[in-house]
Amino acid sequence: MNYLEVANGNLLYFLTAFVILFVILQSLIFLKKAWLRGKEIGLSTETMREAVKTSAVFAVIPSIPIVIALIAIAPVLGTPFSWMRLSVIGSQSYELIAAGIGASSMGVKNIGDPRYTAQVFSNSMWVMSAGIIWGLVLCIFVLKKYQQGIKKVHQKDSFWAEIMVNSLFFGMLSVFLGRPVTSGGISLYVLLSSAFVMLIFTWAAKITKIRWITDFSLSLSMIAGMGFAVLFSQAGL
Amino acid sequence: MKNEMTYKNSIHNLGRLTSAIVLIMILLVPLIISMYFGIFPPFRNLLLGLGTVTMIYLPISIAEFLTYTPMLGSSASYLVFVTGNLSNLKIPCALTCIENAGVKPQSEEADVIATIAVAVSSLVTTAIIFAGVLALAPLRPVLESQFLKPAFEQIIPALFGAMSGYWILKQWELAVTPLFIVILLFIFLPVPYGTEGALIPVIGLLSVISARIFYKRGWIKQPDSNNGGSK
Repeated sequence: MNYLEVANGNLLYFLTAFVILFVILQSLIFLKKAWLRGKEIGLSTETMREAVKTSAVFAVIPSIPIVIALIAIAPVLGTPFSWMRLSVIGSQSYELIAAGIGASSMGVKNIGDPRYTAQVFSNSMWVMSAGIIWGLVLCIFVLKKYQQGIKKVHQKDSFWAEIMVNSLFFGMLSVFLGRPVTSGGISLYVLLSSAFVMLIFTWAAKITKIRWITDFSLSLSMIAGMGFAVLFSQAGL
Repeated sequence: MKNEMTYKNSIHNLGRLTSAIVLIMILLVPLIISMYFGIFPPFRNLLLGLGTVTMIYLPISIAEFLTYTPMLGSSASYLVFVTGNLSNLKIPCALTCIENAGVKPQSEEADVIATIAVAVSSLVTTAIIFAGVLALAPLRPVLESQFLKPAFEQIIPALFGAMSGYWILKQWELAVTPLFIVILLFIFLPVPYGTEGALIPVIGLLSVISARIFYKRGWIKQPDSNNGGSK
């Protein structure tokens, strides 16, 4: 049996739909709960609406690479499983690595190898699925305790707690800035131009007090950076 | 109105329940497929594969968990670890919304805003992927066009450039040390592509230590307000 008959079969489509629908339901439940809680603690409907607008618009652009990853992965791993993996927990870089490990632990070089049978595919599925669960497991067993710990730091010295979380964030930000800054080239130019556009938007929002500038500045700066990327590469940089 | 404790407990219960259901569903998919088609892999090979992938991704998951959950608060954390795409989407989105709403980070208000941000962005991403699956054929030439290729390749620098344009200016004292260390590291050590994530906990820890020193010396001033732009 060709593994693609399994990988593109109806059963897998059905299971995928089921999982994705549940995840959508979970997001809706949490959204509703947060909304009601927001009202209880005095957040204005307007503030929460702004958050909905900002996040809906922001999410569009970073979702494009996920669709591109889907185009890359779907022919080898079949559409439904690739779709599920990229919608639930997964990320582009993880999926192919994990699928490859699934193949190599069966003694097959990689996906696409003529010896990549349905059984090897099933091993890839197992490895991809079970390898990504750790964040979830930690949430189930440790999150409550960990959040209580953070809360204690916060109660003791709320300013320090804020600094601590921000410095964690700066640690993450720095890691993603490292490669473009040191390798230079188009990535560095894009980084600098979108940073510059963001500065202009931030400044404009402060001066004009126009709300939509604040809401969409991150998305617009990203799009501007991407536009510059096309421009720079056309210019042969 | 429920007090904070009762609400938090109800979120943890709901979060644990839904996360456990997702966890089981994720594992049921390969189980059902293996059994239905009779293609269960030999146990030895399965364990070998699982061992390898766990060795790589367990430390990364622990690091992500420790770093991201304090930024997000409880209820958004349950959601992000189900929906994924943390550093490239959910974290920037949640932080931006918290900032724009003008609420204090780590407050209950921030928890609510982060949850809204993560839930809405997950729904949008799911919808876009769905559209992508339906329109795979007509979309392919656009997404694979040579002209637009640099734009899609540079999404991460564009995103983090824009983020840093805002945040580094706002709290440059906190950015100096981690940036300096990361730049030195990338100059002197060849960090392989795709493994940057493993650096996040190390740099995060060094960043916190340096912030602690700066803080103790009084070099970090209380921000005038949570700068909400036009709020």
